[in-house]
Parts: sequence; C-alpha cells; structure tokens
Amino acid sequence: MDRYFVACDAGGTMTDVIIVDEEGRSVIGKAPTSPADESIGYMESLEEALEYMGIDPHGKKGRNFGERIETAIYTGTSMLNTVINMSGLRTGLIVTKGFEDIIAQGRGSQTFIGAQWSEITHMQYRKHRIPLVPRKLARGVTDRIDMFGSPVIPIYEHEVEEAVRELLVDEECEALAVVFLHSFVNAMHEERAATIAKRVMREVGREVPLEISSEVAPTAREVSRANATVIQAYASSTAREQLFGIEKRLDGIGYDHSLKTVLGYGGVTNIRYPRLFETAMSGPVGGLMGAKYLSSVIGEENIVCSDVGGTSFDAGAITAGVLPIDREPGFQDMYVNVPMLGITSIGAGTGTYIRLDPQTKRIKLGPDSAGGTPGPTFMEAGNTTPTINDANLLLGILNEHNYLGGKVKVNKQVSYDLFKEKVSDPLGLDVYEAAETCLELLNVMMREHLVRSLMVGHDLRDYVLLGYGGGGPLHLLGYAGDYPWKAIVTVPHAGAFSAWGGACMDYSYRRHKSVQTMITPDLDDTMKVAYLQPVNMAWQALEDELLEELQAEGFDRDQITTERIVYMKYLGQLDDIEVVSPVTSVDSPADVKELIRAYEDQYTKMFSLVAKPEVGMYQVTEVCVLAKVATVKPRLRKHELAKKKPSKDAFKGKRPVFQHGKWHDADIWRMESLKPGNEIDGLAVIEASNTTLFVPPEFHVRIDEHDIYWITRNDRNDRKDR
Amino acid sequence: MGDLTLREQLRDNEEKFAKTGSLFGLEQLHRKESDPGTYEALWHILSNLCNLAWEVGCRVSSSPIAVEGGDALWALNLPTGEAVCVSRGITAHPGLLADMIRNFIDLDYEELVGFKQGDIFENNDPHYGGIHGPDFDMAMPIYYGDELVAWVSCVTHVSDCGSVTPGSVGFLNPDCYSDGLCISMEKVGENDQFYPWYEKRIRSRTRTPDFVLGDARGRLAGCVSLRDRLMDVIDKYGLDFFRDAIKEYVEDSRRYAVARVRTQTVPGRIRKSQFKDLAMKGKNHILGKQDVDCMFNLPMEVEIDVDANVKFSLRGASGTVPFGENISPTALKSGLLNGYSHIIGFDMFNSGPTAAWEVEMPPAGSWANPFEVDWSASSGVAWAPAVMWMSNLYEVFGRLFQMRGFIEEMAAGAATTMTAEFAGITQLGYYLAGLTLEQASNGSPARGFADGENSAWCIYTPNADFGNAEVTELYYPILYLGRNIEPDSGGYGKYRGGLGHTAVWMVYGTPGLEYQCGCAGMRAKIVANHGMYGAYPTWPDAPSYAHKTNVKELIEEKKPLVHERGPAERPTLETAIEARDLQTHPIAPFVTPDELQNYDLIVHPISGAQAMGDPIERDPAAVEEDLNKGWTSERVAGDVNGVVFSENGQYSVDTTATERRRAEIREDRKRKAIPFKDWWTDERRRVLEKENMDPAVLTMWRTSMTLSPDYGDELRKFWDLPADFEF
Repeated sequence: MDRYFVACDAGGTMTDVIIVDEEGRSVIGKAPTSPADESIGYMESLEEALEYMGIDPHGKKGRNFGERIETAIYTGTSMLNTVINMSGLRTGLIVTKGFEDIIAQGRGSQTFIGAQWSEITHMQYRKHRIPLVPRKLARGVTDRIDMFGSPVIPIYEHEVEEAVRELLVDEECEALAVVFLHSFVNAMHEERAATIAKRVMREVGREVPLEISSEVAPTAREVSRANATVIQAYASSTAREQLFGIEKRLDGIGYDHSLKTVLGYGGVTNIRYPRLFETAMSGPVGGLMGAKYLSSVIGEENIVCSDVGGTSFDAGAITAGVLPIDREPGFQDMYVNVPMLGITSIGAGTGTYIRLDPQTKRIKLGPDSAGGTPGPTFMEAGNTTPTINDANLLLGILNEHNYLGGKVKVNKQVSYDLFKEKVSDPLGLDVYEAAETCLELLNVMMREHLVRSLMVGHDLRDYVLLGYGGGGPLHLLGYAGDYPWKAIVTVPHAGAFSAWGGACMDYSYRRHKSVQTMITPDLDDTMKVAYLQPVNMAWQALEDELLEELQAEGFDRDQITTERIVYMKYLGQLDDIEVVSPVTSVDSPADVKELIRAYEDQYTKMFSLVAKPEVGMYQVTEVCVLAKVATVKPRLRKHELAKKKPSKDAFKGKRPVFQHGKWHDADIWRMESLKPGNEIDGLAVIEASNTTLFVPPEFHVRIDEHDIYWITRNDRNDRKDR
Repeated sequence: MGDLTLREQLRDNEEKFAKTGSLFGLEQLHRKESDPGTYEALWHILSNLCNLAWEVGCRVSSSPIAVEGGDALWALNLPTGEAVCVSRGITAHPGLLADMIRNFIDLDYEELVGFKQGDIFENNDPHYGGIHGPDFDMAMPIYYGDELVAWVSCVTHVSDCGSVTPGSVGFLNPDCYSDGLCISMEKVGENDQFYPWYEKRIRSRTRTPDFVLGDARGRLAGCVSLRDRLMDVIDKYGLDFFRDAIKEYVEDSRRYAVARVRTQTVPGRIRKSQFKDLAMKGKNHILGKQDVDCMFNLPMEVEIDVDANVKFSLRGASGTVPFGENISPTALKSGLLNGYSHIIGFDMFNSGPTAAWEVEMPPAGSWANPFEVDWSASSGVAWAPAVMWMSNLYEVFGRLFQMRGFIEEMAAGAATTMTAEFAGITQLGYYLAGLTLEQASNGSPARGFADGENSAWCIYTPNADFGNAEVTELYYPILYLGRNIEPDSGGYGKYRGGLGHTAVWMVYGTPGLEYQCGCAGMRAKIVANHGMYGAYPTWPDAPSYAHKTNVKELIEEKKPLVHERGPAERPTLETAIEARDLQTHPIAPFVTPDELQNYDLIVHPISGAQAMGDPIERDPAAVEEDLNKGWTSERVAGDVNGVVFSENGQYSVDTTATERRRAEIREDRKRKAIPFKDWWTDERRRVLEKENMDPAVLTMWRTSMTLSPDYGDELRKFWDLPADFEF
C-alpha cells in the first residue's frame, strides 16, 4: 500500500494541504481557513487534494485514506488567532511584587515592533497592545532571587496563598501563570508557589492550568519570559482543543497515529507537547525547513531563503546547515523569549501599493498592499491604487489570459489608465518605463533585505539563493540581480513550498537556559575549567530533559542525536553570539581553548578584527541543546534527464515583454510540460497555473534531475553546468 | 569636486545656497528626475549600510545604554560634512556629527593634518561641536581611489567620561575643567587602528576604561563596516551618480521639510517658554559658587513666513549656570533636528531640514550660547535644558497643526528626564559607574485625539526603552523591588499623557554604592510643563531613598516591604520601613551624601508626559477604566476629572451625576473667575514689588532681559513697567 505524508499550512485566509507520496510527487488542496473550527477547513482542503489524486473523498478509498497516511502535520493559526481575538483563558498572573504591571506596561519598544524607522521616530503612531492579563488579574508576591540564584528575599508564602485564592475564587481565573525575577537561575520560588497553588486549587475545588516561567522559558529577560508564560497559560488550551479536533477528524478516516504540529524553531512534535506556545510562530517555518531539506539533496549547506507573497517578503539564511535562530522574537506586539527561526519580513510583495509622495514625488512602495483582496487594479475589485502586479501585467510579464490559472478576469486597460494617472504622468515618464522603474525598486528593496539578513559576517558568494512563495519565481531573478550568488534556484511547486516543507521536518526539540559564567585572564587553566562547569551542568540538564521527552514519545535513545550550543560575549558587552560548541563537554584546559577559539573565530568573522579586544574576558550567558530524531521524509524523485531543448508542446508562443526600456519578444513556456534536463534562455516566461517564472534576457535556466530549476547569469564567467 | 579644497567647496556651497535658495545650487534634482528608480534604490542601499554599521557597532559596544538602549548612531556624510543618511539610534546627533566634520574642514585639517583612508578623528569637546563629555563623536574619511567621496561618522554614549563625579550625567560639574576626558578635534588613529596614546588616555582618565574602550571598538567596527561595503555600491552605480545623488538627497529632504511646514502649519509668530529649575542650594556641591538654586527660561519663538521659511529664536533665554547644564548652539541645533523628526517627520533623515530653518544665534552668555561670554562654562549634561526646550517644539507645532485641522499630529509636550546613575563595586567585584535605562521610557505626550502611551517614549532617542530589570541587575548591585506604572503621572486633561513608572531598588551585593539622582531635564520645585489647551500639569520629579534601614529585619520577619511610591502625601517609604536616614522628599537632583549600603532603598519615579484639554471633558468611561486599572486615584477622578463614581469591588461611573458635578465645577470656575484686567493689574503690582520672588527667579528674569534687550522691552511693555525696570 502506498504511504503518504500529509502536511498542512493554515494561513489567515487559506488552508493548504499537500499530500506527498514516497516518491516526492505531490498534490495540493486549498480551502478557506475556518478559525472557529479549524478541522473544517483542514478536511475541506484535504478532500480537494484527494480529488486531484483522483480519489473520491466520500468513496471507500477516501473514507479510509487515513490508513495510508504515514505522518500528518498541521501548521495552524489557532494560537495566533486566540491571541489576536483575545479568546483565551481568563488568566491570572502571580509575579514578583512590584511587577504587577509587567504585561500591561511591557516595554516601550513593544509599541513599534516591525515598524519602519520613519514610523518609529513619529511618536503619534505608538500603541501598546491590549494586555492578555489586565492589571486586575495580576497579584504580586514578595520574593527576590538575585542574578546568582541566591534567594535574597524568601518567598512570602502567605501572599502566594492569598493571591491564588483571590484569582481562583474572586476573579474566577481559568489559568494561572507564575513569573518571578531570575527564576531561570533558580526556580525554587516558582516551584514553591506552584506547590502552594496546587494545594489551594484542591482546597477550593478548582483545578486550572498552571504555568511557571522557569519551565516555560528558562532564560533571562523578565518581560519576554512573562509574555511567553502568559501566552502558554492563556492560549495553549484553546489551541490544543483545535488540534485535538483535527486529530479526531483524521481518526475518523482511519489515521491511527498522533497528529503532529510544527515548532517555531523548526521541527515537528506531537500535539500533546507540553510547551505548545513554541508552536505559536510556526507560520514561516515550513519554507525554511523545506529549504534545509532541499539543501541536503542538492549538497549545498548555505542557502538564502526568500519567500514572496502578496503582502510580504520573508528572508532567512541557513549557514553551514544551521538554521538561524531568533531568541527573542516579536509576536503580536510582545517580545517573547521563545526560540524561533530567524526570519525577517518587509512589506513588499506582488500586491504592494505604488504611490508617489505628494510633497516630493518620490516613489513609495508599500509597506501596505492590496494583497489578494481587493487585489491589483486590473481585477476591478475596488482597488484604484496601482500595485506591483499591475506593473507586472503592463510589462507583459504576467499573462492577462492566465492570471491565477485563468480563473480571474483581467482588465489591462484599467491598470494602464490608473498607472498613467497616478504614477507615470506625475513622474514625467512613459507608462512602461515607470512600471519597470517601480519593479526595479521593489527588487532592490528585496535584495537589500536579503543582504541585510546576511550582512553581519557572511559573504553572499557562499550562498545559494532559493526563491519560493506564490510570487517568488516572478521576482526571483529581479532581486537576485547581478549580485554574485553562488547559484540561484527555485522549484515548480514554489507556491506550496512552505506546506511541502512541513513534510520535510525532523522530530526536533530545542531548549535554552541562561547561565552566568566568566573567564578572566587572571584565572589559571584549572580555574577556567572549574568556572565553566555550570555550562556542562546546564547542557546535561537540558539534554536529560529533552531525551526524557523524546523517549516518552516512543523514540529509542540511539535514534536521538544531540548538539550543544553556547552563547558567548566579551565581558561588558550585552549582546552575545551563538557558537556551536566544538566540544561536547568542557573538561580540560584544551576544551576551554577550543571553545574560546570557536567563539573568537565567529566574532571576528561577524564584526571584523578591529572589534576584537586585546585581552579577552569572556562570559557564557546561555546554553542550548538540540535533540533530533530523523524522520522519514518524502524523497525528491530523481528523473531521467531529457534533452536540453524542451519539447514542442511546452512552447506556448511569444509575447512582447518590456525590458531595459524596450519591447522584446519573449518565449512563453508551459511549466507543466518542461522536463528535467531542459534548458531555457531568457528572455522567457515560464507559466504554471499557480506561479510564473520570469527569466530576464541575461539569465539561463537548467532543470536538474530533481526538477529543481538552476538559474545562472549568461554574463558570469562562473556559469557552469552542474 | 574639481580642484577645490574641501574648505573651498564649503564656501562654494554657501554661495550657491545664498544665491539660489537650494542646497549646492541644486535648483533641479537631475538624477532624481531622470532616473527616479535608481535614485530610490541607492537611497535604500545607503540607509541599509548605515543600519548595518549600527548593528555591528552596537553589538560590539560595551554599554548597555548603546545595546539595550540604542543610544548610538552611524551616519554617511558628504565630503563637506552634511549628513546624507543615518542609522537608527540617537537622532539628536546627526547635526553634531555633520558640524564636527565641517569643523575639521574649517580648521583646515585637510592641509594641516591631511586626510587619508583609515584615519580616525574624534571629538567630545562641547567647545568644538560636541554636546557633552560622554558622547564620543567619530568620523572617518571615505576615499574611492584618490578622491574623498564621503565620511562615515558615529556617536556612542560611554558609561563614564572621567568627569568630577562618576558616570555620564555631570550636572554637578562647576566648569568645563571638571567635564572629564577631552578629545578636542583630534586624529586618534590611522589605518583603522587607534593610536597607543588613545587607549592610555582612556585608561588614565576614565573610571571604567574597559567599557569605554569597548565602545570605541564598537564605533570603529561600525564605521569600517560601512566604509568597506560602500566601495561595492560606488562600483555598481558609478562615482558620478553617487556624487550627485548624495547631494540631491540632502536638498530633497530640505524641500520635504519646507513642504510639510507649508501644508500643515500657518504663517505667523508664536512663542512658548518652558521653565526649569535646578535646585542646588544647601546641597553637596563641588565649588562654593554652586550653593545656589537656578531657574532656566527656555523660550522658543517660531516665525513662519508665507514661503514656509521657519525661523527659530531663543530671545529671552536666561544666563549660564555654574553647573553642567549649558549647551553650545551647535548641539542645540542638532537637538532641534531630533525634535523635527518627531513632529514634522522625515522622508529622508539627514541634514536637509537644517537648511529649511534658520536658528538665530542664542543670546551670548545664555545657557544656550555660553562660551562667547564664559569659556569655562560646563556642559556636563548639556541636554538637560535642551530636552525641556524641545518640548516647546511639540506644543508650538501642536497648535499650528490644530489650526490646520491635523489633530492626529498634535502632541502635548515632553516628559521630564530624571536619571539614575550608580557608582561603586558591583556584585561581580569590579568597579562600575554608569547610567540605568529607566529614564528611556517616559510616557508619551497626549495626542489631539487620544491619551499618550505609558512608558513608551524617550525624547532624545526614539528607539530606546527601559530594557529588562534582569539585564540592569547584571550590571549594578541592586535588586528591583518594583517597576510598575505610576498612577496619575501623565498630567490631567481630556486626554492624559502616557503614564510613567516608578522603579524601587534595594541595594545589594556591594560594599557601598553611590546613587546619583541626576538632572538631565528634570524639575524639582516647580511643576513640569503645563500641557495644552486647559490641561493641568503633572507633579515635579520626586525621588526618595532610605539609608541604614531595617529592611533586612523586615525580610526575616516576612513583613511588607516597599514596592511603589505610594500617595505623594504619605509615601510608602515613610510608612513601611524605618531608616536612620529616611529621605522621603529630597529635592532632586542630588548625589547621596554617604554611600548606600546593602538593604538601603531607592524610589525613583520616571515621569509621564503632558495632557491635553480640560480634565472635566475627559470621557467618564476613560476615567472609570483608569480607576479600575489603578492608574488614577479616587481623589483625581473626583476632584480633577469631576467624575462621580461608586466602588463595589469594581469602579462604576454615574454619568448623570457626573454631568451635574461637572456643571457645578464650571459654575464654580465662573464664580472664581476675575476679569483679565483685574488679574493683570494685581500681577503687575506683584511684578513691580518683586513680591515673594525667589532669588533664582529674579536672576532668571534679570538675565533674560539683559541678554536679550528687545525681549526685555517686550516684557516691560506687556506689564507696562517703567523703562528702567529690572528684576
């Protein structure tokens, strides 16, 4: 019996389900996301995908399809929606006394997360989000642990008891979160508070979920730790109910494994995973994880991932096979110390609005966009502001008869008239020149964003640029530009690459813990080793914890691999950097030297030699352990290579395309009919029902045996057949 | 530019601007007009490079204030110094950096010292364009081939600059000789390396040399990163395009600033004064002349003509003070650029807008132009009067915006800036002196349509905030006992200012810690600025502390401690603990006379911002919400907002009774009101008799009138005073 991977990417608007067979062949179903009961959108999308496979979802084969599913993975928005809609549990906060406003007050910088600099400087734009825990539901408890973990002020237990009783009985809280300062160094006060809280719950006859910050996110920075803990208490139960609902529906069609979900730092886990808040930011993860898997297939360890959607452009860089991690990302106007894949976004996509500044006539792209709704002006759905896709259409890059596979009617004249009136006439340019100018500007913005994600310490000549997302292939070569990328690649299923990536993830857990250690030059070798013992202890504790969790999932110890990471800095600096430890344990002076060498190599690579102090005093601030179980993944099928010249049926004809200030005839190709081994020279447009690859004249495309599109510049000496 | 020296280019630029009204004589922006896409693309890339430098520099720097607080900035400058684009960070500085480079040129360093790739120049001397000692400004020339095509410049704020008192907020400095380590327009390195003497000087003249040197490395690393990557950019776009475009960006920005003023304000003349005290009489000081209270008159006069030319004047500014609170005109103008970015906004943040206004040279001998008269004046914390002066800008332009209907752009006025600095042996065993980040999160001003935001705005750098307590505790031997929103700290109005917060610290882990409650723009005896359109002001800054306390015993007995400021009339510090030296209402600023010991307490409130509109017009539902959040007191809700409410576990407003109560307040106001003429007559009598006037007030008015005779004449005219009247 064939086995299948079923991965799902539920976005704010649409839910995509991709079914991949063991050979890597896939079909995609789409259905509107159903926030009230996400299982509805999920099943509708799955049923559409089954139909593409020729299976009647309501026939016998369809009704029992679950039996053939090897793994079902769900990446959803339930945590996100719970926070956005403020529909989580009524959560009470027990916090170090004097910090009752920690959630409502937050940090000033939370009022401009993701804002542009001109917005940040303009104070009128600032706005705190509505707190998940209002002040009324926060209770302070006297306690203080210092930075070394010493309990300077013992916990006032009577205050804990009173707080729990008030929150449960008077305030009718449905969940509790406990956050004490420096609990990541010593959790004794939080653990004691939890014990008291559980006793009081029994006494008052109400058991509610209870989260303590030292378990949820044992790392420094109390505001972010409090946010993370509160989100876990507030939103995880509601979200888990949604996941159970989906699992139940899958169970109904014969799927007898547990449903998996995606962690924000990459990797899958069982939906019963205790720290479910780590799945809250899993939206863009699929793309990066798909890229990581792809990188192993093509043998490239350095990949710059770029995802062009209708509204945003997301970028992240995989270096030496290591995924970028942001340890304190912003989430819904809160900082959270939840490790997440380091993906940065700007408001630039195919739906980005094009405007001119009324004062200076400067071209302004976005950051807002028409997205899919109301869409570009040519859709005549109410938008009268030109967008990037209007420019693509005017320039002949988009096919007016094949927009979204021909499902959407296009009125090119509307685009022309509005572009002329609002953009080109005020600029004093011809309509087509203006459209090309706007596209090139968008490309520069995207290119700079990519470079920015690599700026500190990396050379883009070492990186392969991968483009995906619905608009990825359309803009990929524009933003690749003439930068010396090692190579440029894309895939035919670029539009569903993120969902496909969901099927490519390992079972992977990651835990961080703050530590405080310092090595100064006056210490002798033995003392340096002694001073680093907290690192060994923390590594071991985290590893034990992760192994226990994974073994509880049913994995054997020998299936699990681990990796140890430290975060280091020079004494006095605030910002540390991540260093994959070259030693598994610091047991000798040689180990210390090896660790410092790895740190200094990384540091000087990132910040240049001028940034390196003469005499090093080092601090290790945090450690991390990765534990991973490799899972079965869809194979990328290897095909026989066809001839370089595509078959005749792939050629759709010619169409005028405006490039470099002139009209040229471009070759138009049908993507579905192209074969591995085929090669195409620009100027060309390769069209599929769900994406368009635009190949400017200076580029050349080769499709390899895995159906991956390799693109090189004709004017580069380094062009080679791979 | 041809064979002209940089100094000749400066003169040439000035002549062209005078002749055409456009910077560099650019009556047309040819590059922008002929190739708008490339023009925008290059701008995007250059901005990105500045942010790269910021990221590298901040991460290498050693000051929490740079990294967590963002108190640093990198800029790309024209060969003649004008800032082309800047990074994120402390936006008060691009003007200073531009003027520093210009000074190097004006002083003919090109000939006398010579410029080459890899040279490092610095200045922190206020006499030559610096603002105050701890802000180290750096510039490096950028050569493309043999041609100096640009400069990269930057600033970071160091933890200690070696002034007479530890740290970086030198309000107590009596003169410039006590301002600490001085880098006066010096070449401090070449070939991307500091000279050996530079490190030696920092080691011998600052208290925290490792931190200061870490910041120096951060500045250098940021500058080098920008410079090196710029080479590829010029290769790609061509030197000619680069040369032309970077000038056009500056002129374009000037035009934008003019256009915003033209479309959103009205022509005319408007003047607003802020007043600020510096209460030092009877306190510890360095020199005898400092045993005085001071008052500052901080006037801002704005005149806008029909062509949207803006002229700023400080006529009426009071005299210098024998403390570190005098500022050079250069630094003040740079601060104005910062303020402009908050209220006018920037399409491109660079030097352009400085050519869209004219700042009349402040009166010689005033706090805003000290050196012409008193060369030895100190600028230890020069921005103390400047940030309060800048609050005028919010109010003045707020009124102008309101006149044109742009209420979304209105802001009521800035909060005050009271700093906390610690000096002593830390819990890690080394000496540290430095600033906490508490003051970097004031409330933001009330808007024309909504309250300000709590703990969300810092007037001197827009992307700073107070960071995490756990991070601050890594540096200083203190434990936070509280950091909550301070009720009623945002003034009283239809829309209140954003609320501030109060930090409560317990000293711990040190043999002794000096706490300096510093003035960086605070007020102690007089109310903070007034708010707008009938709002009432918030209270002055009010720190407190307790030395030699019984807190250890209270902890052992598990008794209540201090976690908030509490009611002003009876602060919690007074009721909850005992101490041999209990200072519940000390007048700030001050340095603790004795080192604080473990278990001593400090209560350090950070102010909210100003309110807008009459408080009895505040929506009763908003008052109810504030009551339920604990953000206002029953007294303020009832007496100030005129709201009638009941409390039964939850506050509930009676809207009908509230309307009645508010009608009564209005009637009561009418009863108390007197004709303006009567009020004026009585006030005039008091002025003539100098009735109940503090010497600090008299000195302020006297110097204001003497240093600006026409301002004095205006004042005499308003009050109908004799021609020879003097305070």
